[in-house]
Amino acid sequence: MSLQRTFPQALAPRHYRTVNWVGLQTLYMKEVRRFMTVATQTILAPMVTTLLFLAVFVLALGHAVDRVAGEPYMAFLAPGLIMMAITQNAFANTSSSILISKIQGNIVDLLMPPLTPLERTIGLAGGGLTRGLVVGIATWIAMVPFVPVSLAHPGFILFHAVMASLLMSLVGVLAGVWAEKFDHMAAITNFIVTPAAFLSGTFYSAERLPPFWQGVAHANPLFYMIDGFRYGFIGHADGSLTAGVLVLVGANAFLLWLTYRLFATGYHLKA
Amino acid sequence: MNRALALQARRFGPVNWIGCWSLLRRQFKNGFSDLHFTILGPVIANALYLLLFVIASSSLTTLDPETIVTFIAPGLISFAIAERAFEVSGANLIFDKHERTHMDWVMAPLTPTEKAACFALSSTIGGMVVGSAVALMTLLFVPAEVAHPGALLFFAIATGMMHGLIGTLLGIWAAKWDQYTALHTFVLLPLAFLSGVFAPVASMPETAQTLIAFNPIFYLIDGFRYGATGEASADLRLSVGVAIAVNAGLFAWVHYWLRTGYRLKS
Repeated sequence: MSLQRTFPQALAPRHYRTVNWVGLQTLYMKEVRRFMTVATQTILAPMVTTLLFLAVFVLALGHAVDRVAGEPYMAFLAPGLIMMAITQNAFANTSSSILISKIQGNIVDLLMPPLTPLERTIGLAGGGLTRGLVVGIATWIAMVPFVPVSLAHPGFILFHAVMASLLMSLVGVLAGVWAEKFDHMAAITNFIVTPAAFLSGTFYSAERLPPFWQGVAHANPLFYMIDGFRYGFIGHADGSLTAGVLVLVGANAFLLWLTYRLFATGYHLKA
Repeated sequence: MNRALALQARRFGPVNWIGCWSLLRRQFKNGFSDLHFTILGPVIANALYLLLFVIASSSLTTLDPETIVTFIAPGLISFAIAERAFEVSGANLIFDKHERTHMDWVMAPLTPTEKAACFALSSTIGGMVVGSAVALMTLLFVPAEVAHPGALLFFAIATGMMHGLIGTLLGIWAAKWDQYTALHTFVLLPLAFLSGVFAPVASMPETAQTLIAFNPIFYLIDGFRYGATGEASADLRLSVGVAIAVNAGLFAWVHYWLRTGYRLKS
């Protein structure tokens, strides 16, 4: 009796309206804290690796490159590298979160709480999105002392950074749901994510490619992310900006729907 | 009578060959259980690097892509050897310490020299396996060319051994994965990337050249490239000297830590 009088609220089910804000916030914060506690590995390490890439390409080719798209090679390369860091880290955040949870068996912590499939999708993708943007900003700050960075169209920078980060977070969720072992994830990273990032026009201008490689670039969603993002910095785009925006919005909408469906049906997650 | 014999201590000569062989096998079992991943990963990554350099150099510059690839390929092979060698001892050791299974070999009747040699050897072999696979891959881009097989082999072994010993040191020192990966990312990787793998030292600014002259990895890669293409930026005798001195120094360091039980016996 006395128990009931002391904790009458705690024993009743919590009520919320359409959206479980507390649950959504908890999931999002869990995803963010997951990478913030190991910031050396998740933010600083990609920053250093990206700077190394910059140094390597500038040292190897810089002296022979006159100008790309009217810019010094370094100014052309930097936005592409920042975007590469954003995409790889956004992907890594969601994919590793789900896969590790599955392997350790604590995936139920994601599946059992009273969250709708849409809330799960947004909470997880939000964590990846945040990681991508944080790494992008860190990398950008690290490059400022070396690269003459201009900001031609800040809106484009922001739009493409957010869309790219969200897109790769969602791809990461799908990969994490599908994969059963670290080997599977390594295969996806080695065979799909890294090649897509490398052959997307980060390091060279797609305009000057032979027709075959130009076709490869244009079929690659990462090309549009990098191209539009770079347009935000240097004011020059290799491809069509409208097409890029449409591709990114369309791809994100489709992936959001697909992720939602996977969580709704419990594919590969609920036995 | 038989039982009494069986209970006696096993005797061995100056070297405990069976013990060494067991430790080596243990290293290989841990380091090579997922071969398709450890070999295919670097092969694909390096193929991408080469492809990237071909596309970038041919679309952006008037440089001959073949010259660039011929220059970079030996560096990438050497780099692949280094990375794998480092991982075979380093990752194994951290894993051992994490699971507390390192007592298996700390307590075994092996001298510190034998242990250090086994770690170095398993790393070298592991590195060479991956390096050979990457070397085969480069044949897609450049014709096979080995100017000085002796030098090539010497520097491949020196690279594998050096990184195996560094991996051993890091593995012994690091208490957590964080520290291990941090040192790898923030120290070893920059040293390797900024060692003339990707660009001739002569084309770099003077300060960079001076700094690189203090980077031991530069001499290993330069010597390896000399073995492949016959061209070197540094004096070959200096490179050989650095390779031997660094390996001897690192071996002594590993030996010292294994002898005193630093961070292994509490």
